[in-house]
Amino acid sequence: MSFPLLDERRLAATDAATLRLLDGRTAAWAALDGVEELRDRAHAIRMQVIDDLDGHVDRFVAALEAAGGRAHVCATAEDARGTVARICAGAGLAAKSKSMLSEEIELNSALEEAGVEVVETDLGEYILQLAGDHPVHIIAPAIEKTAEDVAVLLSAVEGAQVEPQLEALAQAARRQLRRVFERADVGITGANFAVSDTGSICLVTNEGNGGLVTALPRVHVALLGMERLVPTLDDLAVLLQLLARSGTGQTLTSYTRLLTGPRRPGEEDGPEELHVVIVDNGRSRIRDGRYKEMLACIRCGACLNVCPVYRKSGGGAYGPVYSGPMGAVLVPLLRGLEREPGLPHASSLCGACTAACPVKIPLHELLLELRRDLVGEGIASRGERLAFTVWSLLWSRPLLYRLSTASARLGRPLGALLGPGRTWAAGRELPRFARRRYRDRE
Amino acid sequence: MRVQLFATCLGDLVFPDAVADAAALLRAAGCDVEFPAGQTCCGQPAFNAGHRRAADRLARQFARAFDADTPIVCPSGSCASMVAHRMPVSYRVWELSAFLDHVGATPTARNDGVRVAYHSSCHLLRELGVDEAARRLLAQTGAEVVPLARPDLCCGFGGTFSVRNPEVSVAMADDKLADGARADVLVTADPGCLMQLQARAGRTSGGRVVHLATALARGVA
Repeated sequence: MSFPLLDERRLAATDAATLRLLDGRTAAWAALDGVEELRDRAHAIRMQVIDDLDGHVDRFVAALEAAGGRAHVCATAEDARGTVARICAGAGLAAKSKSMLSEEIELNSALEEAGVEVVETDLGEYILQLAGDHPVHIIAPAIEKTAEDVAVLLSAVEGAQVEPQLEALAQAARRQLRRVFERADVGITGANFAVSDTGSICLVTNEGNGGLVTALPRVHVALLGMERLVPTLDDLAVLLQLLARSGTGQTLTSYTRLLTGPRRPGEEDGPEELHVVIVDNGRSRIRDGRYKEMLACIRCGACLNVCPVYRKSGGGAYGPVYSGPMGAVLVPLLRGLEREPGLPHASSLCGACTAACPVKIPLHELLLELRRDLVGEGIASRGERLAFTVWSLLWSRPLLYRLSTASARLGRPLGALLGPGRTWAAGRELPRFARRRYRDRE
Repeated sequence: MRVQLFATCLGDLVFPDAVADAAALLRAAGCDVEFPAGQTCCGQPAFNAGHRRAADRLARQFARAFDADTPIVCPSGSCASMVAHRMPVSYRVWELSAFLDHVGATPTARNDGVRVAYHSSCHLLRELGVDEAARRLLAQTGAEVVPLARPDLCCGFGGTFSVRNPEVSVAMADDKLADGARADVLVTADPGCLMQLQARAGRTSGGRVVHLATALARGVA
């Protein structure tokens, strides 16, 4: 049940990458005037949407359809998979840019079952697809892979040795993916944001693949988490000022794409059809309760990079999709706490995540709430509940506190043999209880 | 000024010398230090593990033991934050370094030329917003305060986290101890961090870790 440590190789790769991203964020925030006010505004914008989510979905759908796009509102992952499969019916090849939502709804396997070949075109996701692995970081999915790992994977496709140097690897991937862009019938993307007022979707990327996927194929399908709406373009500008700075430390990513509807008469490029698949999959369950602030998440990855638990255990420890503090909160909410009882405890409650969150989600406070629910819903073990009850009954009486701790020193050898003491002592000395408590000296 | 000293359970049971050092520092700063006899624990272990009814029992005992109108000083950022933020009663609670800094205490020079590094305990830093006070006080004792590469990185204790995820917890302690090796002594203002770091250092001969109160009151040499 406990979180494992990454092996040395993946630990080194993760450490190097997360520290680079986290130091980038720290520097970018420091260079931004009024960053605290901006974070407050961003939080307010996100909560404004969450507090009227149905209204914003309706406005977005109307604006999208007025611009010539098609909206599909899907209640479950299964609905969303079926909808995308129907849109793709008859297509031979789908080119995908990065979408964590597509991982959440397990889209690729559904499309492949429907006879559509799917190729990931984000470099990190492409590497993972070749390796048969899941993403381990929401913005840097292949963060645990080294250049050597990647060279082996790309060489197999190339049919020739690709050197483990960044330039050579990028060139090989570019050659391989170019053939995909040229042949794809459908382009599938996620959406970082969507604008309720205009029906636009916004894609934030650092690779050119997002542009090729949305411009070349005849059909573009964008997957949108239903909470990722912002009211206006001005509001979008506030969030864009924070997203890249918080994720990578960039002022803006290399490409920020705002797409409103499909190709219009007289235009030379863009898809003939634009479908936006709006996915609920548990989100509307979250929006009314104590956890609604989790829906404010903009998936920047800052909380992962700053989290010492994430950096030691890696994303895989949290499950196949979301990881780090945002995953530790979101996954139990989406999948059910009883299925993920370990995730709320995957934190030392150091609060670094809360401090790093650009939209001020109180992540470690939400973890505390989830722990409370583990106990309240009877998911925590009976032994644990009994231990805390007995302990609190003793220690809420000064006399019983004194009696129960009078011979604490004798407990040390015993503690080494029992549950938590034994676990503690596997890597650490057991604490030595003092001969005389402080209260005995007063 | 009258202050109530909250030893914390770890202070009372495991680090009574550090609590005595805290009391001495408060007296030297001109405070009249009381030790409310009914005190036990703030209940944070239960609160953080989700056991709110158990935590409530401890909170009620805390309310019986302490006077809400008299300042409470405690040599732990984590317990001070628990008392400040997670109890039904509003207390005038201070963590030790913040209080000493606030009253302008000037600790005696006992650490001339000693190189110390200060670990910014998570709850003290992020929930109470206190960070520089301890460094200022350490510098006043003549110590050379050596900056850590990652002063704000958690030591890996986290209460029940330390036994629920022991491998990660220990690896985090190792990072902190390795960072602290740039100084002669690693200083922390929190008994939780102190217990974790000393326990790991004891297993790996990984350096000396001292409570802030001890470093200020008696020196680290």
